[in-house]
Amino acid sequence: MAERCAVVGIGQTKYERCLPYSMDGLVRQAALRALEDADLSFADMDAIVIGKAPDALEGVIMPELSLADALGAVGKPIHRVHTAGSVGGSTAISASTLIESGMYNTVLTVAYEKQSDGNFMWALSGGRSGGAGAGGSFAPWIRNYMRRSGAPDHIGCKVAAKDRRNGAKNPYAHLGQADLTVEAVQESPMIWDPIHFLEVCPSSDGAAAMVMTNAAGAKRAPRPPAWVISHAKRSELGVFPGRDPVRPLAAIDCAKALYKKAGITDPRRQIDCAELYVPFSWFEPMWLEGHLICPEGEGWKMVDSGATEIGGDFPVNMSGGVLCSNPIGASGMLRLLEPANQVRGTAGDYQVEGARVALGQAYGGPSNYFAMWIVSSEPNPTFS
Amino acid sequence: MSEFPISFTLEYPYTRTLGPVIGPFLTALRDGRILGIRCGGRVICPPIEFDPDTCETLSPDFVEVGPGGTVENWTWISDPSSKHPFQSPFAFVQVKLDGADTTMTHAVKASGPDAMSTGMRVMAQFHETLEERTGAITDVYFVPEADARNQSLRPGAGEVEISTHLISLTYNDTLYPHAARFAEGLLDGKFIGQRLKGGEVSIPGKGYDAIARVMLSEADDVELAPTGTVLSYTVITPVKYRGQKETEPYLSASLILDGAGQTLVQQDIRNIPLDEFRVGMRLRAIFKPVDERSVDDVDNDWMYPSIGNVVERWESTGEPDVPLDELPESM
Repeated sequence: MAERCAVVGIGQTKYERCLPYSMDGLVRQAALRALEDADLSFADMDAIVIGKAPDALEGVIMPELSLADALGAVGKPIHRVHTAGSVGGSTAISASTLIESGMYNTVLTVAYEKQSDGNFMWALSGGRSGGAGAGGSFAPWIRNYMRRSGAPDHIGCKVAAKDRRNGAKNPYAHLGQADLTVEAVQESPMIWDPIHFLEVCPSSDGAAAMVMTNAAGAKRAPRPPAWVISHAKRSELGVFPGRDPVRPLAAIDCAKALYKKAGITDPRRQIDCAELYVPFSWFEPMWLEGHLICPEGEGWKMVDSGATEIGGDFPVNMSGGVLCSNPIGASGMLRLLEPANQVRGTAGDYQVEGARVALGQAYGGPSNYFAMWIVSSEPNPTFS
Repeated sequence: MSEFPISFTLEYPYTRTLGPVIGPFLTALRDGRILGIRCGGRVICPPIEFDPDTCETLSPDFVEVGPGGTVENWTWISDPSSKHPFQSPFAFVQVKLDGADTTMTHAVKASGPDAMSTGMRVMAQFHETLEERTGAITDVYFVPEADARNQSLRPGAGEVEISTHLISLTYNDTLYPHAARFAEGLLDGKFIGQRLKGGEVSIPGKGYDAIARVMLSEADDVELAPTGTVLSYTVITPVKYRGQKETEPYLSASLILDGAGQTLVQQDIRNIPLDEFRVGMRLRAIFKPVDERSVDDVDNDWMYPSIGNVVERWESTGEPDVPLDELPESM
């Protein structure tokens, strides 16, 4: 790459059903907060990179055009990215690629969803009556994971309780339950067996934004930058004979490419913490395995041992993750933004002490789109 | 082979929050007034939230504009669709309302294209009742100035903060040849898949081999037995949303037909009690009587293809279960 890329500004909205704002106002709020964090203005941006899940979710077609005023993009290049639920991750990676290529010096990247503007259960069924919902598609794969790995039933509930407790430390989180116990999750209604109600992500409105710049820009930044060390995207067809949706090949390939570019040989030891896209609790152990952080069949043991708690040896979803806030288009960006928060030391009450290298991951579709990055407080971290 | 015409209506209900500018604009329309917003030295109508020149948030400095205006551009719609504001011929116009510096796209009800001209004067007319004026852009329309009536309108109560839309689109298509053969097979009580170049069978076929990246033809079609094995399942407790037809919890299974390389997902199981249902179980499809089979929801594109409404139920074959370690990992 011609240039290095660093995150120098982060902005988020509160994730909840957002009534006072238009879609434009919501997106702008995150953008302004990211600019303020970077001590920059719209005038300093060379381009805007925007991502969201399908336009049909809010029914505003090509919203990147109508959002140009709100994002200070009039007369500037605006790029739109779309890769289903992983889109926020892919969007941030596209933005960093524009910096790394030397094309632009500084870009604003924004991802959002305003789920309350549409009816997402209906929309995710393709605008037709299915009745199954997203959980109905993922639940059989989770059951399959449990059978193959021998994971005990309580693992998913343990992930959910952890994430909701973490969410209580995040002022932007939609849901946070400081005292949630594993037992309370187990006692919540079973809605897509084996998925309990409290193991399911909410439906949120919200936007997330980052200002990214090159090394010269990072030098001028008022607050510590998060250096983008490596990134990778992979996808595969959603359905084909031989596909393993519990452990998709694209997930493995994406992780391998990511670690290789970063020089990481032992991810569990060399990475300090991670934000993984976990819309249903069981995806935490599934992605720990699918992204080679632990051997196949061992992900649930990491959960069970407490390793993925804040304070454990490999904290996951310190912000509360998708289980606490799910503005779909922004959810993937949040998974990449929160690791940047960690290595900048700006994660507040959910800060992992001394986080130096952090992993962000987003997935989308029927577990067939993946976007991942590694960020660090150091421009050239070494791994031993 | 028969042709299978398919028709599918895609519908989305929307409830959009309007924010501090479009909200007051639509509230005013409901009350029979049209608002622009001051932006620098201009008045912009319809109003916008952000100054496109400076990126600044505009203060809510609204100005009433119209009801008269001048047509700057127009086009005659001689054959309106069901989605148009009028069902008889009309004009779409760009109208610059008196007091505004920008044009608004809207509709003029006129006797014919001869009654339309660039530079003509038009007048806003509002629907008469509050049942018709809901806080939407269609609360108002325009007529040639000479046709305008004086209106005395009763304002509504409260602010318009959310606009609701039901958007619907009907697609008419014909099943692709491979999908038509699949549908025809279902009507005959058969599962027709396609054998890929690597030997695996895709059910239904896609008409091409996505792995070898070559087209497939009728010669690659294979009939699979109506028997298979349960790979996984979930019990769905229906949540309420628009279009939801289910009310009671039900079993939804992923099955792999014998000889198939990929699963049939979301097969409803209504006849086997949950405590008797298990992964590895052997099942057989019992087809409906011929005249009750339908393939209305088989389509060309959906990622999880439907097998139509041809299976009455899946029942146990009575064979021993497939040992769990012999099940394929692919789903």
